[in-house]
Amino acid sequence: MTTVTKSASRKLTMARAMAEATAQEMRADPRVFVMGEDVGPLGGVFGNTRGLFDEFGPERIRDTPISETAFIGAAVGAASDGMRPIVELMFVDFFGVCMDAIYNLMAKNTYFSGGKVPVPMVLMTSTGGGYSDAGQHSQCLYGTFAHLPGMKVVVPSNAYDAKGLMTAAIRDDNPVVFMYHKALQGMGWLGTEKGATVAVPEEAYTVEIGKAAVAREGQDLTLVSLGAGVHHCLRAAQALEEEGFSAEVIDLRSLVPLDRETVRESVAKTGRLIVVDEDYHSYGVSGEIIASVAEHPGCRLRAAPKRVAYPDIPIPFAPTMEQWALPNADKIVAAFHQMLNEH
Amino acid sequence: MTTDITVPADLWEGDTEGVITAWLVNDGAEVAQGDLVAEVMVEKAQYEIEAPVSGRLSIAKEEDEVVSKGTLIATLEA
Amino acid sequence: MQPTADQRRWMYRNMVLSRYLEERIEALYMEGKTPVFNMAKGPIPGEMHLSNGQEPCAVGVCAHLTADDIVTATHRPHHIAVAKGVDLDAMVAEIFGKATGLSGGRGGHMHLFDGAVNFSCSGIIGEGLGPAVGAALSRQMQGKPGVAVAFMGEGAANQGAFHEALNLAAVWQLPVVFVIEDNAWGISVAKQASTAVPRNATRAAAYGMPGHHVADNDVEGVYAAAGEAIARAREGLGPSLIEIETVRLAGHFMGDGEDYRPKGEKAGLTDPIPRYRAALLEAGVLDEAADAALVAEAHERVEAAIRFAQQSDFLPPEAALETVFV
Repeated sequence: MTTVTKSASRKLTMARAMAEATAQEMRADPRVFVMGEDVGPLGGVFGNTRGLFDEFGPERIRDTPISETAFIGAAVGAASDGMRPIVELMFVDFFGVCMDAIYNLMAKNTYFSGGKVPVPMVLMTSTGGGYSDAGQHSQCLYGTFAHLPGMKVVVPSNAYDAKGLMTAAIRDDNPVVFMYHKALQGMGWLGTEKGATVAVPEEAYTVEIGKAAVAREGQDLTLVSLGAGVHHCLRAAQALEEEGFSAEVIDLRSLVPLDRETVRESVAKTGRLIVVDEDYHSYGVSGEIIASVAEHPGCRLRAAPKRVAYPDIPIPFAPTMEQWALPNADKIVAAFHQMLNEH
Repeated sequence: MTTDITVPADLWEGDTEGVITAWLVNDGAEVAQGDLVAEVMVEKAQYEIEAPVSGRLSIAKEEDEVVSKGTLIATLEA
Repeated sequence: MQPTADQRRWMYRNMVLSRYLEERIEALYMEGKTPVFNMAKGPIPGEMHLSNGQEPCAVGVCAHLTADDIVTATHRPHHIAVAKGVDLDAMVAEIFGKATGLSGGRGGHMHLFDGAVNFSCSGIIGEGLGPAVGAALSRQMQGKPGVAVAFMGEGAANQGAFHEALNLAAVWQLPVVFVIEDNAWGISVAKQASTAVPRNATRAAAYGMPGHHVADNDVEGVYAAAGEAIARAREGLGPSLIEIETVRLAGHFMGDGEDYRPKGEKAGLTDPIPRYRAALLEAGVLDEAADAALVAEAHERVEAAIRFAQQSDFLPPEAALETVFV
């Protein structure tokens, strides 16, 4: 028998972190099971159920027909009857075929029952583009889901948060939408963001849903983002540091509940705010963050806030157009320069 | 004693080259036999590399480097 | 219903053309993606769903259609687009994302729209059915001729949209034909693991419409079933459902390891093109010289389209903002 303790530096991809959290909760709680398309022997198109079928078998890791309305609706029913289902909507773009089960049932049944019939389920779904998958497979839709009351929404930017948020989501007595960006999964074919593969403890732990993280401290500017956008912000902060500016990066981690306090505290310190979001520009997360700061009586902005978000267009296929439209570190730096020039 | 970690010949079918997409342990860390240490991608499929023995890991092929079956990717010092 | 000799050669030629197109796309798609398979790289980025093996479904149906008839297709659309007569140059340019593409590169391979021949497709499972029903309704309301054909995979028959669209088409007696290309796999999930009935054609009974089952990827079996269904639609007698047992000779998408397929399963599949070629030679519809000429011509047509695409420019990036509205 080996007695070597595993290194504290053990790293996981975000896909593995999600699978590890799910496996640990499934071992601890027989009510937890998984349903979705290709979640079984394939291990999920984006790798986040890998290994689960071998350990738990087809009874608890259930490949479904391409019937999202049925299996997400079924998760609502199972959750209210004492199970703790995790369901996967393969691409968030597919929500169109099953949104009723999500926002009229999953999100409202708790309220309709006066809190007496909870819906403890997790809806995990992939987001994001950047690899020319065009307008039906590349959206983020963070704002769409966060807008609708009754479901918590989390968006991890790295494997540590992914494991902790997944564990918290499974243990939560409320429905949680777990939105993972494809570029963070550690699947090389999707153009992996290296910064998402980080050290992850082996034991189960939770990351509190509703608590943002300060991913980098700074004094001159607050960058607020989520998911893959956090990594753009960290690169921009690095570039700005070389120019002599210190940018603070807030990783929202959770959209519902939204940790407005952490954002306001940071902006109170820096006086400048740029929100970075791969979701559409209008009516979304970026507007909500800016409003949350601006409407607060303590708001003391030194410059008009800015957002670096996706233009209000369907996502184009051609890489020339798509890459032009996506947020990136250069755009964030440019937005900051513009902010300085305006004041 | 030094033990090589090579890409196993039976990890995937055929002679296609792969790429190391992730080291799941830092260079210089102690690993136990059977620990998952790296992921190798061949087209869209991902394969796992485990530590054949326990020891201190010394990485020879970095992330994004191309590997073939039999490529030495790291050594373990017991 | 028997195809004429000309129709047989037409079907064969379109199968050959479609397959050669897929083979060339396959090779070009892999450029820039070896040894590191990054979907964003190479002259054709993004996902790529090849139709190799499913050509009989496209040609057997489209042999009965004119440019005026409507076709909606799926995420795996190339064979159907070829058979429907979509402008090949503009289609290939679209797959490359170029300015000369059907949408200037905004849609890509899963979102091909050619209004000149009433062809469109969608990357969402089962979502071509409603639009086909609506196009048929439009023709009925306008008193115009034409039928609409909605292609789908067998996985789509488990979507709500399938059942709603079939019922709607039946209750309004619309000129629609629903065509299931049953390649037995929904990505990694086998049909028998996801579908409650062995044959989706039996589901037609639930909506009071004829259900045809075509076994063994048979080109002329498809031709016969489609001929009957389309004639019925043209006569105003309402919709039909056709289920075709076809084969997916490639993966779900390029790069698919297909470890989920049982060992030897793929090796046991029959490529429909050599088989149909042999049948046509046997029947005297084709001889070796005519075949060689037909193949060479089809290959040159594909090569010309690829050259056209490669020599075309991309739109300026800012064009991404255009055509959201008209």
